[in-house]
Amino acid sequence: MARRRERVDRGIKVRSEDVYALTSWREMLYLAAPRVLPVVALFVLGMTASVYWERVLVSTCMFAMLAISWDVLNSAGMVSLGQALFFGMGAYIAGTLNHYLGLGPWLTLPLATLGGGLVCTLVLLPVLRLRGIYFAMVTLILPLMIERVIEATKIFGGTEGLSGLTPLGSEHVQFLVALVAVWVALYGFRRMMGTDYGLLLKGIKDNDRAVMSAGINIYWYKAQALFLASAVGAFAGAFMTHAYQFVGMPVFALDYSIMPIASVAVGGMGTLAGPMLGSFILVPLSELLRGLGGLRTVIYAVILVACTVGLPEGVFHYLARKYTQFERWAEVDK
Amino acid sequence: MLAVKELIVFYENAIAVNDLSLEVKQGQIVGVIGSNSAGKTTLMNTISGLILDMRLKERRKGGQRITVMGQVFFEGADISQTPAYERARAGIVLCRERHPIFPDSSVVENLKIAGYLRTRAQVRQGLEQAFALFPNLARWRRRKAGFLSGGEQQMLAIGMALMVGPKLLLLDEPLLGLSPAMQTQLVEAIKEVSSRTGVTLVIAEQFARPLLPWLDFAYVIENGMLTLTGPGPELMTNPEIKSAYFGV
Repeated sequence: MARRRERVDRGIKVRSEDVYALTSWREMLYLAAPRVLPVVALFVLGMTASVYWERVLVSTCMFAMLAISWDVLNSAGMVSLGQALFFGMGAYIAGTLNHYLGLGPWLTLPLATLGGGLVCTLVLLPVLRLRGIYFAMVTLILPLMIERVIEATKIFGGTEGLSGLTPLGSEHVQFLVALVAVWVALYGFRRMMGTDYGLLLKGIKDNDRAVMSAGINIYWYKAQALFLASAVGAFAGAFMTHAYQFVGMPVFALDYSIMPIASVAVGGMGTLAGPMLGSFILVPLSELLRGLGGLRTVIYAVILVACTVGLPEGVFHYLARKYTQFERWAEVDK
Repeated sequence: MLAVKELIVFYENAIAVNDLSLEVKQGQIVGVIGSNSAGKTTLMNTISGLILDMRLKERRKGGQRITVMGQVFFEGADISQTPAYERARAGIVLCRERHPIFPDSSVVENLKIAGYLRTRAQVRQGLEQAFALFPNLARWRRRKAGFLSGGEQQMLAIGMALMVGPKLLLLDEPLLGLSPAMQTQLVEAIKEVSSRTGVTLVIAEQFARPLLPWLDFAYVIENGMLTLTGPGPELMTNPEIKSAYFGV
């Protein structure tokens, strides 16, 4: 008798998610655990960790926000290679506001978030009509260009940067702000992608001409998505400026463009949670390997390759499938 | 020449082809007639080996699991696990549905790309043959293939498949999206291909009316299962076929 492996949705998944009739604590827990547990775990982890690891977690949160913003852009059909543009723009806006005007972090953070989003959107507005690789190329070049402009014109401190900026408060305060920000970004965008608005963005990615023929101005919606995504990136930049009390040319470095994409590749795209999970794997990992000296990058790259070859769908997709489905042998009857 | 034995194909838990057996003899024109979602394309993909590729890709990205059971025999040898490119070398050539061509290349370039496996002399011969079979293509030989009409693109796709030098040519929905006039024209061309090159043909199609009278043998499938078999002209008179496919 011939047999084949069969994938079946777990009964509890069907009951609690599809039918949506919660009748027991177990079903509620099944729904709530993957959503609430990471929030609690991360909070406890950060509050109990040493100062060094708490700082690592803070920067991980910021990388996660960049990765989420990449995924939002990608869901709307814009492949970006320049998360550094958003990051750097937010960082410099917050830095200059603080340095020249003396505004405190609680004012510069929102201003840099909105302002950074606005500036990035305006800068990229002319290239919104480009698709795929062309859009990606423009976004890749822009941050590198701005870096050189700052170096050449010596504005905003030039190569020295601006230092001695106002700190954000104690380690715990920083961590809590970062944590709240990343969870708001994740769950906010996840909710957004579930609404009709998110559906429209996904439609633009799938088939922009079909969306156009439905009488919808896709460039207006792309600009909105771009604003939302770049605002999130700009917040990360502004936050790190105050966390490091310094802003300089490195904020436009390629790291801030590549790391989010690597996180997406490891975590799995399209879910927003995947990229975040990816950053929480990659950034601490790169810190762990710091003790290895020169071989660090090599080992890091090997792990990255192993992840993308072994689990091309992404860690999150894999875990989600295991959580919602199980497999069994089924006999093939004719 | 070709034999499919007890073929079963699952896409995850959905069954696409259910215990299907068919046989094709040298030089025949055989039709696989069925409505949408009957499993025609899956059958064609399985015979040509594309399904192995799809299965691998889906497995890599953790998507749908494709299960293939049963055997495909070509000239007596079991080719169930042979990859698509080796099947093409052995002479099984598939012309996929919706006339896939390279839209940015010219007609001649398209045909030359398809002749990748052939020698220079064979390519020249193949070009002549394609232009003789489809005079319309000769008229537009330097034109970008993307600018051809649907019917011409279909002719080009068949011409490309012939360039490979098939022993067994699989045509997946060749009449799709063509006007009735174009359909009869294409059926004439297909008949000519068969008589001129002696190639064995398997045609999957849902527009049975223009095709059925010329089929040496036809398999009617529904939901992946065989429901009727017989020579084409004989099926023409079958009342079930009449009501299901001709709307009489």
